[in-house]
Amino acid sequence: MAEIEQEIRSMVAKIIKRDEKSIEPNANIFTEYGVDSLLGVEILAGLDKKYGLDVPEQKLREIKTLNDIVRIAREQMSKKAG
Amino acid sequence: MSQGTSEYWRKLIRIDDPVPADYLKEFKSPLEIFRPLFYFIINLICRFYLRVKVFGLENIPQELPYIIAPNHVSALDQTMVSYALGSKRRNQMYTLAVKHFYDRFFPRIFMKIAANVMRIDSEKDFFPAIRAAVKVLKLGKMIYINPEGTRSQTGELLPFRVGVGMIAVETGVPIVPVYIHGTYQSMPTGKYFPKPSKVTVSFGEPIYMDEYIKRKQTEMAYDVYRSITDELLKRIISLKVRKENL
Repeated sequence: MAEIEQEIRSMVAKIIKRDEKSIEPNANIFTEYGVDSLLGVEILAGLDKKYGLDVPEQKLREIKTLNDIVRIAREQMSKKAG
Repeated sequence: MSQGTSEYWRKLIRIDDPVPADYLKEFKSPLEIFRPLFYFIINLICRFYLRVKVFGLENIPQELPYIIAPNHVSALDQTMVSYALGSKRRNQMYTLAVKHFYDRFFPRIFMKIAANVMRIDSEKDFFPAIRAAVKVLKLGKMIYINPEGTRSQTGELLPFRVGVGMIAVETGVPIVPVYIHGTYQSMPTGKYFPKPSKVTVSFGEPIYMDEYIKRKQTEMAYDVYRSITDELLKRIISLKVRKENL
């Protein structure tokens, strides 16, 4: 699971164009890193591309921090696994 | 890894959903019977009071659909572009209007007479609004969208949002950049009657999507949408510079 966390951190860093080490797990990526809200969609698109997770758009509202993204990815992975 | 992410966005905006043939009725109003009279009066105002000059009409694509994307500094803007386009084109145009403007009684009546209006709530209903715009384009019509997302209170350009780039590349429809000058001087926010002014409406060369469609196969979709929006901003700035040098 830690591996997934690291993969998601790298993916988010690439999308929001920041050094991955500088992303605090509980920092609000929109307010603290000035991320455009549509980049939140790109993060979900990244999860879809990398893990085949078709995350519903309602989940967008839940995304604030890196930890939220990891949690959503895990939830969707469990759902997918049935 | 995160390259070629357009598929998710396409699902989100339901690009492949069929569009009912009567979909456009939603944006029509019985008030449009007053439209010819309204534009008769607007024509007089534009010619003799605002002395509107139109440049670059030859840049407008011969065939629909396409996106009209002007800067936004005054409540007069949409009407000035409609005047510039002429009656045949403007009747094919569907305007995205923000809810805080549309939800006020008089602006709504005014807009329903002047245009085919689509109400959007960019905070809550962003994707429904995008889906509606996509459907209208798929039916072969024209969309009027302000890339800044809101009206500038200072007359200066605001940052452009990526939504217009997304709609354009995912539908494959060109964007026509438009620069409006003089409406801010005539009727800025907070004023309800235009002052006499020299207004110009300049249409730039369309931005075609072929190159961007190729790019989104290998690049992050958001970056491609952003590139289109940046190009649009660049073209509107160059129309602005050209106007200032006239």
